[in-house]
Amino acid sequence: MQFTSESVEALVEQFAKLPTIGRKTARRLTAYILKMSREEVVGIAEALVAVKDNVTTCTVCYNVTDHVPCPICRAPRRDRSVLCVVEEPNDVLAIERTNEFDGLYHVLGGVISPLDGVGPEDLRVRELVQRVHDGHRDPLEEAEDAPAVAIREVILAMNPNVEGDTTSYYLGQLLEPFGVRVSRIARGLPIGGDLEFADEATLTRALEGRANL
Amino acid sequence: MEIRSLHIRGVRAHADSQFEFTPGVNLLHGPNGAGKTNVLEAVHYVCLAKSFLVSSDRYALRRGAEQMQIEAEFHTDRRGDEKVRFIYVPGNAKRVQVNGAPLDRLVDVVGRFPIVVLAPSDHKLTEEGPDERRKFLDTLLCQASPAYLSALVAYRRVLKQRNELLGRRAGMRREMLASYDDALTRHGSRLVVRRARFVEVFSRHLESAYALMAETTERPTIEYRTFANKEALADEETLKADYLERLARRFPDETQRGITLTGPHRDDLVFRLDSELVRRYASQGQHRTFVMGLKLAQYFYLHEQLGERPLLLLDDVFDTLDPGRMATISDLLAGDAVGQTLVTSARSDVFADVLPFDGNAASSIPVDTRSQNAPEPQT
Ligand SMILES: [Zn+2]
Repeated sequence: MQFTSESVEALVEQFAKLPTIGRKTARRLTAYILKMSREEVVGIAEALVAVKDNVTTCTVCYNVTDHVPCPICRAPRRDRSVLCVVEEPNDVLAIERTNEFDGLYHVLGGVISPLDGVGPEDLRVRELVQRVHDGHRDPLEEAEDAPAVAIREVILAMNPNVEGDTTSYYLGQLLEPFGVRVSRIARGLPIGGDLEFADEATLTRALEGRANL
Repeated sequence: MEIRSLHIRGVRAHADSQFEFTPGVNLLHGPNGAGKTNVLEAVHYVCLAKSFLVSSDRYALRRGAEQMQIEAEFHTDRRGDEKVRFIYVPGNAKRVQVNGAPLDRLVDVVGRFPIVVLAPSDHKLTEEGPDERRKFLDTLLCQASPAYLSALVAYRRVLKQRNELLGRRAGMRREMLASYDDALTRHGSRLVVRRARFVEVFSRHLESAYALMAETTERPTIEYRTFANKEALADEETLKADYLERLARRFPDETQRGITLTGPHRDDLVFRLDSELVRRYASQGQHRTFVMGLKLAQYFYLHEQLGERPLLLLDDVFDTLDPGRMATISDLLAGDAVGQTLVTSARSDVFADVLPFDGNAASSIPVDTRSQNAPEPQT
């Protein structure tokens, strides 16, 4: 077998590295790119690089953002006394789409799973406890002694599976001494489902029907 | 329920085989090694997404085949006609599609198309250790109840996580174990309460099954052996509290040995004929009858729970039976007690005197894959 274009093969290789994309799809994408205008392709290339160059982690909620603190943590109208704890940045998007939650988020960065070698120290668990302990300070407020808003509720929105379940229980225990209301939204979501893929109506019901831990 | 057709690709002897079935008895006959049992294996895969013969799906794959693909057409009273496709490509997750749409979870197929299998390896049920009996219990209850299936999947996962945590002595912290104790006892209690309830109902079916196999007057009983006292089995909450206490008591042992020592993963069933333990005192013949009774009772139980007759798969049972038991089974298959059956045998005349192979009641299906396995002609 002989390749007539090494560039084509190289691009196929790159696409095939992505999740859920097999060689067949990689070839199809490459063929499509070949047909696109140069400007369009440059647009894609720049967007790819920009994601790496500009996106960083919010130092308050640990979501991905272009500007620290992120727009959600900066928004003046959001309820700063409520925290919703999620596994990944995509879960923030899923909950934002429901338009039902106007508190702030805390992105854990995964779940506890001994089988995968992930313990609390590998996640933003200490940071969560710190946030609940300190309360929310306006990230744009310069004055050191500006009053902090006390956290009164923490909603745990882990995926409804064994790891999400045990992580929630663990966090519930850690937060107990602070006297905040701790609730879970997993109820009403299909067992084994992903928050990311739950439809808005289901997520809304789950948020409304959250149960105290 | 009824299986109407089956298209097998890439399963052991079958490169590409197609079968049609009648609603009654289907006798799959052919020489040994021609792929009769693999037909039942394929049916097992589309119904339960796993093998009943081998521990790894790789062993069920045809040698040299890139993938296994099995398609079946079913008719159930509950949902009418459904087309199911099972796909397995080594190194990838197994997939099941129903009417062209993929199922969210592979296990969601379990119970849609209930089956009962009687195979030569079933002698282990009464003769060997508790693993086989737990497998029997789980396969049955998972088909009967989605809630049981979910609890079992979750329990096994928690158990793995908990054992991993227990195995790491250095990094093990008591406060981390608490979340696994909570999940383990919650899912575990659900399993135990349901198993206890099941055994009560099942005993009745086992007696009916024995009554059908008219040769015996012995009374079969089945007893559930688990970690908890009878009083604690009343409901899940009571049991969970009891279970947590037991875990706390065994904590030193568990950390020392690095595994979970209390739970439904160590349950067992005790079989008796009158007051005698089957495992210890039964004769060869009594063992066989007991196993057959368990399978028939499984059939009746599933029928009652689902309102649907399961599909009965009998693998090579006729070739090892004495004439008396063979007549009993043949009568049973010809009668109204069971619905559709797939039977494998090396002989084409096992039902010669009992079942006429005409139209709906029974069908004689030769299985011979030897042409599919002929060496490629040299060119
Ligand atoms: Zn933020």
